[in-house]
Amino acid sequence: MAFSEDTKERLVRVVDVTKTVLHYGWVPFVLYIGFTRSTPQPSFIKLISPLA
Amino acid sequence: MAAPPATTPYPLGTQPPPPSGPELLGSAQNPSFPSSSSSSSSSSSSSRVSFLDPILLPLNSAIQRLQETRSKLGLTNPGTVEGLQKEVKSVHATNFVFDGARADLTKALSINPIFQVTHAFSMGSQAAPSSYNFGAVYGDSNSFYQAGLDDGMNVTMRVNRQFFPGHTSKVQAQLASTQGQSFVQLEHDYQGSDHSANLKALNPSPADGTGIYIVNYLQSLTRNFALGVETIYQRPSVDMEEASTGYMAKLFGEKRDWVATAQFQGQGIAQATYWQKLSDQVEVAADLQVLAMAQKREAQATLGARYAFRMATLRAQIDSTGKISSVYETRLSPAFGLNFSGEIDHLQGAAKFGFGVSIESGGEMDPNAPPPAPPSVPM
Repeated sequence: MAFSEDTKERLVRVVDVTKTVLHYGWVPFVLYIGFTRSTPQPSFIKLISPLA
Repeated sequence: MAAPPATTPYPLGTQPPPPSGPELLGSAQNPSFPSSSSSSSSSSSSSRVSFLDPILLPLNSAIQRLQETRSKLGLTNPGTVEGLQKEVKSVHATNFVFDGARADLTKALSINPIFQVTHAFSMGSQAAPSSYNFGAVYGDSNSFYQAGLDDGMNVTMRVNRQFFPGHTSKVQAQLASTQGQSFVQLEHDYQGSDHSANLKALNPSPADGTGIYIVNYLQSLTRNFALGVETIYQRPSVDMEEASTGYMAKLFGEKRDWVATAQFQGQGIAQATYWQKLSDQVEVAADLQVLAMAQKREAQATLGARYAFRMATLRAQIDSTGKISSVYETRLSPAFGLNFSGEIDHLQGAAKFGFGVSIESGGEMDPNAPPPAPPSVPM
């Protein structure tokens, strides 16, 4: 594949940004999906505390 | 007039989604494979390209006859290449052995869709430092999400999504806080009526094409024999390329009470396994691995058994390097379980032992209502 240096640099940057977003956003995303779609909806404290 | 939803859940002409769990796919003929679609699609287009009829029609009927003969053979899905040794792995203690102390707290917050969070603590292991791990799992009938976060701020991620019946796309990633430790795997899995195919890309880089790419295909040839092929293409850096092809065969009993597999991978690695269900409670499995490379020749055999008691599971295993290991998992009450693990290496005089507790708590559910059936999650 022949990409120009510019495109390559942009690709690398896009991958880096995606990685960062997923790194900080993935756990909250799964918790949000589960929290909103669960039946019955659990209480928030149950979601994160090991003791509750 | 509203029809009862159970009788006509899908409009005429569309296919209901098949059971998507891997165990269901293997057991019955999968209705997802539209065996007659080729005839219907080309007959509608033949009006536009009717001058090609002398060529297309015989071709069409030949394809149709081929499909009919194929469906008459009654072949079943052979399972995936990745799950070739699934039975053996579930019997052997190798994947269940741990050392040190462990505590797992699981909270099942919802059954359908599946949603649970886990807190896992481990300490005192010889190999790894003490750690804490938080996990969340969400699953419904066409998607599966898993998230993990450990005390070093490393995130693990798994996504399985079923776009069409039989087609599952998977992403698996490890996002490390330190540079260069991250890992991603993109995968697409296809399970047809009598074959399955899988495409995998490990750490693919769109910029320079490096990464590891794996493609495999497994086809049932008779009702209890399947043959497969797998090609691995590795490109660790721009100017280094390597490819190898391996083959595998799977033989199973009429009632699926025994499975024998043989696998030969490129670079001189061969593996043969045998699994048998002796009774409802007892399963045994044997595994032989041979490494025959130019500079290294090695072989290892493993023999293991699994006993399933009413509230406990015992795995015992011995291998040819003189290692004995055993894992005992018991459930004292539905919410409280104890795990014991031990491994003794007689030749090296090494041993490791583990003790674990697992506590499970449910969400607020009506104790009188029957528990909802869990969805079949695409795995």
